[in-house]
Amino acid sequence: MINKDMERLLLKVQKPGRYVGGELNSVGKNKSEVDVRFAFCFPDTYEVGMSHLGMKILYSQFNSVPYIWCERVFAPWIDMEDLMRQNNIPLCALESGDSVRDFDFIGFTLQYELSYSNILNMLSLGGVPIKSADRKDLFNIVVAGGPCACNPEPIADFVDLFFIGEGEDVDLEVIELYRQCRKNKESKGSFLRKAAQIQGVYVPSLYEITYNDDGTVNAITPKDNAPMPIKKRLVMDMDNSYYPNNFVLPMVEIVHDRAVEEIFRGCIRGCRFCQAGFLYRPVREKSPEVIDNQCHTLCHNTGYDEVSLSSLSSSDYSQIGALLEKLTTWSKDESVSLSLPSLRVDGFNDEILSKIKTVRKSGLTFAPEAGTQRMRNVINKNVEEQELLETCTTAFNGGWTTVKLYFMIGLPTETMDDVEGIAHLGQKVVDAYYSCENKPKGKSVRVTVSASSFVPKPFTPFQWEPQDTTQQIVEKQQHIKTAITTKKIQFNYHDSSTSFLEAVFARGDRRLSAVLEKACHKGFHFDGWNDCFSLTKWLEIFDECGIDPSFYANRKRSFDETLPWDHIDYGIKKEFLINECKKAYESTTTPNCRQQCSNCGATQWKGGVCYEKR
Amino acid sequence: MKSVRVWFTKDKEARYISHLDLNRTMLRAISHSKIPVWHTEGFNPHPFITFALPLSLGFRGVKETMDMKLVEDIPYDEIIAKLNNSLPMGIRVYQVTEPVMKPGVIAYGLFDIKINSADVPVDTLYKLTNNLFNMDEIMVEKKSKKGIREVDLKENFCKYTITQDTDNVNIQIILPAGSTTNVNPSLIVKAIGDINNIEIYADITRLDIYNGEVKSFE
Repeated sequence: MINKDMERLLLKVQKPGRYVGGELNSVGKNKSEVDVRFAFCFPDTYEVGMSHLGMKILYSQFNSVPYIWCERVFAPWIDMEDLMRQNNIPLCALESGDSVRDFDFIGFTLQYELSYSNILNMLSLGGVPIKSADRKDLFNIVVAGGPCACNPEPIADFVDLFFIGEGEDVDLEVIELYRQCRKNKESKGSFLRKAAQIQGVYVPSLYEITYNDDGTVNAITPKDNAPMPIKKRLVMDMDNSYYPNNFVLPMVEIVHDRAVEEIFRGCIRGCRFCQAGFLYRPVREKSPEVIDNQCHTLCHNTGYDEVSLSSLSSSDYSQIGALLEKLTTWSKDESVSLSLPSLRVDGFNDEILSKIKTVRKSGLTFAPEAGTQRMRNVINKNVEEQELLETCTTAFNGGWTTVKLYFMIGLPTETMDDVEGIAHLGQKVVDAYYSCENKPKGKSVRVTVSASSFVPKPFTPFQWEPQDTTQQIVEKQQHIKTAITTKKIQFNYHDSSTSFLEAVFARGDRRLSAVLEKACHKGFHFDGWNDCFSLTKWLEIFDECGIDPSFYANRKRSFDETLPWDHIDYGIKKEFLINECKKAYESTTTPNCRQQCSNCGATQWKGGVCYEKR
Repeated sequence: MKSVRVWFTKDKEARYISHLDLNRTMLRAISHSKIPVWHTEGFNPHPFITFALPLSLGFRGVKETMDMKLVEDIPYDEIIAKLNNSLPMGIRVYQVTEPVMKPGVIAYGLFDIKINSADVPVDTLYKLTNNLFNMDEIMVEKKSKKGIREVDLKENFCKYTITQDTDNVNIQIILPAGSTTNVNPSLIVKAIGDINNIEIYADITRLDIYNGEVKSFE
């Protein structure tokens, strides 16, 4: 329902369709008939948020509970925000048109550190006090979950309660607890203390942090019986876990407008830079039958003609052949195309190739991540150059003429030779095309080489590593640029200043809340967008707060330092991460979970790949 | 193969989606409805649909049409029910007919323009509107692909009425609409606002479309 005040602004902004709701399958309920209203806030635009699978799952799951009404809230683009502020119109949810401040729960998904300014901005636009301590009642409970919740500390002053791990079970338990506490007229403090006892809940106000003279964390001390450490929650039985059978169908164009089917969680590989590869351990698969059914139902219910099979490293699905076989029995007749957005170089073969291009040919993207074998061994990518070239040859023979290659620069131990290797590898792919006998006739090849800057993340073997300085990154980018000599390669690189801020917040501590609070008062938003981001302005705030951002981003941390996220437990042993880090320095690789167990700690979850028959 | 003309309204939330978005929404609805619609045979096969006349973003439409071809016979009532089941509430199909006229014959549109302003009372706005309509010429800037040019709105006015109620001034007017000449009713709203230096909020509905003889499109 369109909020009447908002409606008068709609024709003054770009893409008004993103502020109106009213999509097919959006859920309307009568607010007098529900006990708990949940505002699911995505701290980015409608087009980005509506493409996010986690939101689709939780939105449907919450609304399947009769006493909960979950609505969607997105960050208004800057033109709309200006008008809303000028006209004193609060941020509203799409389904009811009610202001965010009318909700029991205000939940944020933490996908990206640079969205933190948007979270605070959305609270402020909704007329909700941004600091947890300033919201005194058992109402407007601000909760957050998602990958960035693994180091919740930089936003600990604003969020009442974090969900650590996967949300499907723990979210509903917390909502039910809230419902009981409201019934009994309990205080917010009482609710939070009880919630903290639920596995997968972190209530930051129940932990006190002290610091050493050198600025590092001295101790993290729980109070009121709060657990230590805080263990993540996860879904072990993927076949029986909640999955939506329908999606909200946007009327305006969004980033990924298609059916999405999650085929497994976790990743067997253990690439040392990759946070998701550690956070979501162990690998838990859905069975081909369940995937097939869910895909078919989704296509039938939505009318989508494309299904994306979503996971980390999809070709590692243990029965990928059987799955594609099943799916193609109906997908072709129903003109549905399949896409596998996350393919490893070594998981790509003729069979997969022929299945995914039965209807429509999508682009091919591979991520060798580093340019030399030495560097790929350091990061445990376990991909050989020969494999990449063979895979590209397969693709070229299959009619593809464009390939995207993703790399990272600024990795630990990286030298200029490793950096130059990126350009050389791109060239070898171009050469592979021209030595290909069955290449498409009369067509030129196009290789896109993208280099992003490495950001060390918590819960990875590189969590102690310094990030390259902006100056070092820029030098490396320029070096690749000059090393590329053909126009068949297009070189893209990432703005290093956003990576720097990302690194600061990724491994920051609670003292950064002061920086974010200032940023909110100054109206910062959409830092993930070039239109809005200014590192200079951020540095001014760090300066005003007396905080040196390079302390968090560029400092080499020692293995015995207390890390700001040491009280959070994802089930990965710290000794394992330390050992992995040491192996990286020796360019030694670690076998994947299916080859050999490396004793990371994930066996404690009693399921998944750890207990597969080998 | 049989051509059918699907009549629908575009209102509520759906009035804020563009013509391109309407096209995509309709394509997915057709695919979801499983109505046997003829698909194009190119590289990316998709249902072949044609809209008689695009509606500007923000306008309500009460007599919008979309043409498509059926590869199998199916009762019109079933088409209506199936499409409505597959479309957002802002788009409602109310009738399916055999096309009589070709979209190319469309020459005029009938618009209902409701305006109000926070800057002046309705009485004043009513006078200002009448003043504008009584001018000898109303020159406005019109943006097109070829750039900005000045046009006289007045010479494009056909039949119109101006009334007022407690909240709004209501203008009903027939304006050129179609492939040859086209005058967007929001130009009138803009002219009233610009000349009097007031901000106007408009709610515009396209009530009907006509051929060259001002006969309703069928």
